[in-house]
Amino acid sequence: MQQDLTGSRKKHDRFTAVVGLVWSLAIADWFLTQKSPAWITAIIFVGGAAYFCHLARKTSKHKDYTLTKLNLLRSFAYVTIWTLVVWSADVIGFREASVQFARCGTGGCFCIGLAWFVWGMEHASQRFESQRLARVKSSTLDRHQSSVEIIKPTWQSWHPLNIHAWYYGRRSPRLRQSLAGLMSYSFIFMLLLLVCSQINGCQELYEMPAGGGVQQTIAQTVKLQKVIKKKFVINPFSAILFRVPPIDEIKLQLTEITKHAYTIGYGAGEGAGFAGGKKQGKVRFIRLEYTGGDWDQDFGVGSDLNMLAEYNVRTSHVVAAQTESRTIEQLRSFPVGASPPMVFMTGQGSISISSAQTKILREYLLDKHGMLFIDNGGSPHFHNQVIAMMKNILPQVRPAAIPLDDVIHRIPYQIPFLPYVAPHGGKEALGWRVDGKLVCYYHPGDIADAWADDHAGVSPEIWEACYQLGTNVIFYAHSEYSKWLSSRGTTKE
Amino acid sequence: MAVITRHDKRISERSMADSCKTRLTVIVMIVFLHLVTASILQASVLDEMSIERWKDLREAERYQMQIAEKYYREQNWKIAAAEYEKFLTLHEKSTGASFAQMKWSICQVRLKKLNTAIKDGFQSVIDYWPQSPDAITSAYHIGLTHKEMGEIKPAKKAYQQMLQKYPQAAVTAFAAVDLIDIATLENDIQTQTTLWKKLTHETPRTSDTRGVCENASRQYAGFLLQHNGVSEAVKSLNTTYPEPSLLVDQFVTLSVAAINLLMADQKTVLEGEKLSDAAASHIRTLLPSDVSVPEQKIFAHKCWFAIADLYAASKRPEKTEETFKLALEKLGRNDEILSRYAQWHKSQTQFELARQIYATLENKIEGQAQIAYSLREQLKYPEAVAIFQQLAIADVERPFHWLSEAATTHRHAHAWMPAIAIYQELLAKDVDHTDNWLWNIGITQRDGGMLKEAIGTFRQCNNFPNNYNEMAGCHRALKEHNEAILLYNQVAGTDENWAPWALIQIAYTREEAAQPELAIKSFQQVCKRFPKNQYASQAHAHLQTKYKITVTLGGAKDE
Repeated sequence: MQQDLTGSRKKHDRFTAVVGLVWSLAIADWFLTQKSPAWITAIIFVGGAAYFCHLARKTSKHKDYTLTKLNLLRSFAYVTIWTLVVWSADVIGFREASVQFARCGTGGCFCIGLAWFVWGMEHASQRFESQRLARVKSSTLDRHQSSVEIIKPTWQSWHPLNIHAWYYGRRSPRLRQSLAGLMSYSFIFMLLLLVCSQINGCQELYEMPAGGGVQQTIAQTVKLQKVIKKKFVINPFSAILFRVPPIDEIKLQLTEITKHAYTIGYGAGEGAGFAGGKKQGKVRFIRLEYTGGDWDQDFGVGSDLNMLAEYNVRTSHVVAAQTESRTIEQLRSFPVGASPPMVFMTGQGSISISSAQTKILREYLLDKHGMLFIDNGGSPHFHNQVIAMMKNILPQVRPAAIPLDDVIHRIPYQIPFLPYVAPHGGKEALGWRVDGKLVCYYHPGDIADAWADDHAGVSPEIWEACYQLGTNVIFYAHSEYSKWLSSRGTTKE
Repeated sequence: MAVITRHDKRISERSMADSCKTRLTVIVMIVFLHLVTASILQASVLDEMSIERWKDLREAERYQMQIAEKYYREQNWKIAAAEYEKFLTLHEKSTGASFAQMKWSICQVRLKKLNTAIKDGFQSVIDYWPQSPDAITSAYHIGLTHKEMGEIKPAKKAYQQMLQKYPQAAVTAFAAVDLIDIATLENDIQTQTTLWKKLTHETPRTSDTRGVCENASRQYAGFLLQHNGVSEAVKSLNTTYPEPSLLVDQFVTLSVAAINLLMADQKTVLEGEKLSDAAASHIRTLLPSDVSVPEQKIFAHKCWFAIADLYAASKRPEKTEETFKLALEKLGRNDEILSRYAQWHKSQTQFELARQIYATLENKIEGQAQIAYSLREQLKYPEAVAIFQQLAIADVERPFHWLSEAATTHRHAHAWMPAIAIYQELLAKDVDHTDNWLWNIGITQRDGGMLKEAIGTFRQCNNFPNNYNEMAGCHRALKEHNEAILLYNQVAGTDENWAPWALIQIAYTREEAAQPELAIKSFQQVCKRFPKNQYASQAHAHLQTKYKITVTLGGAKDE
């Protein structure tokens, strides 16, 4: 009878291990390749979560369960349920909810992990303590030492789980061990999180501000206020002579009302923004980090942040508080449909991009419908580097000079000339088009310098035009992205 | 017998000279035809009115059109566009209205308003004057403008429509060329070959389309050769080069290019060798049987050299050598073949063998000169100088040339004083080229570190501003910064084209003189005074990287 019980328990344990393994494989597939059909993943995730919940419930009702085993099963159940929830939200299309679930769940994981870490630490330190006491006891019996000497610990240990390790000191070693443990655990957890985020695990979202508007050139309306003429009733037989003033002397009272005729944006939503945007979404200015040159030229406060602020003033779109930067690899973590519509790139040295990075950029421009806004920060060499880089990314697309009456040079601001600070890469803006849409806008003359606080000392006409051009490029990228999102929605429907 | 030998020698010399000339001419012609002719022809076809139509215009119309055309020729696009618009307003019913509308559109293209040009210009010509010849040209311009904007799909559509609608129009040939370009970009070989074939064999060659068709025939032949279609390639080239001599030149140039391409990849080496064999055997079929006629002999030389070039390109030295030996056997020993044979040895770095052959040339002076050049190439300067000096005595026609070569060889060997001595001798003897010898003395003194002497010599030269720039350079090397700045200022003040360069040099000189504030001011001056110049870009970047100064005072606009 006892043998039967042991046999069935072993079978049971084996089955649990198999379920755990299958679930782990499904997680790995979801993280890395996403090749399995959704229904298989669904079965595994739902099955895994149900199985561990059932097991935890069954164990809690069992008479001879251990608390450790029960908690372990509860922990597994938590992780499987959390994964199922995040995955379901992602599959259904509730990206935002998915991200929130992922964030909250990570917090929960941290707490559960911390509890297990403390449990393990306490367990280990107690074992060390009991070993020490046993050693001391035996030596006391031999040497007949006093009781005070017995309790005195040895200060030779290096083991971090030993509460009497020398570096914890003599005063409150338990507290110090706990603090060290917490710090180590937090560090390891962060490290794991970072590694996971690099393996395509964590996704970042780019959300445009919700709203709508018209994609048209800024036009101003001038309304004339009607002046109601005073009418005089004149008695022709009156003794008072009424002189009608000559028409030239009449002073018209005109009031000019000047305002923008429409809201800048794209779509039918309320307020300035973009269809397909989110309520909490904002326009962000993301700079691309690359190796080889000075990607961070004119970065942050007093430089490109000015452009972002100007964009906000000119379009009333909600913008981020700071400009940001991302590596080329990080572009991959943005999902299709929630990736940045535009990333900015500048420099004056070399651009060193590996073939893997080239692939990421190609995917960003073609599949994720992104756009590169490149500014030559200071040399003809950078110009050649940009051309070579784009030739690698899009070998079948040739650069072409962008005409002054192109949408990007017309909306929202009509740009009658190309402004530049210095002609590092010629005097013409170049563009790379795919299916009629600009996927790369290249400015040859240090536009970012004109955005800086001192505007590089250029005339107000030039730096104002540079701000207008910057606004146009950011707006173009976002409105095109919005159009694409709308068309994707229509296609899906 | 002696008479025949002298005659032969003369023929040989003449044929060598002719061959060199022809080869050079062909190369220049190819480049010229390829780059310039097509565009010039295109321009002439596309933006000029025919005389017949011009005749039909009334006097008032002609007057207005002439004004507009004048501004158009001066590339004053804004005014030209306004004048064409005026023509349209005044003479809406004129036969030249469609032309004026088209030219207005071209002006818009030049003003970088390409979308306006298409929508309000070229399309209007097609819509309002569909029967006019300008409608066809405008249809082509729509495609071209789309292509210039990088909008490939609409460009392709416009060109394809042209090919269907107006297959006989001359402008359609240009549309086909652009379609070939797009097909190259998209790796669409089928379209490429179809259109090349059409342009080569089917399109009638008028004065307008000749350039385009000839270019297509060359490109098609090049493509066919890469795919081992020698006979087809020859047929294609025959349409442009019916004369065998020119055909061989062109055929060899294209074959060698194709062989080089195939030999560059290990996988296609065999194909390269195969092509060289096929091309060589085709050339052999052209070899004249009777070489007693001078023209035939010249042609025979050309054929043998072509075969040798083909084998050399396929990296088979034994076959190349065999070809030269065969040529010597068939055509007799002559300087032309021997020179080429020696030249090939030189290309194989077999200098001794090359010199042995040069030594046997009948034209002793040429032979010795080539030996000297090869010695100089091998850095054997004293021997080379000795030969050049012997040549200066032996060659009564060109003694100064050989002395100059000797001086150049001394300069290569960094033997400055002997070089200067020779140049001074030349200065004394060759009074016709005083400036040249003075300049060479100055350069040699500068290279030899005799800067003060160099300044004195440059001062005597007349090639302003080059001599001033050199003098300033010498002063900078001597750390006499003020003198250098003075000279640069003179250059900047006198020559407008050199001013930005001179100004930036002043800035660099001030930097060398440890006057950073003045240097910064000078750099900023470059940015401010010449904001559109390349030196403004250089000054801007330098101010930012070296001095961390962002206020560079530049800024301009390109309209």
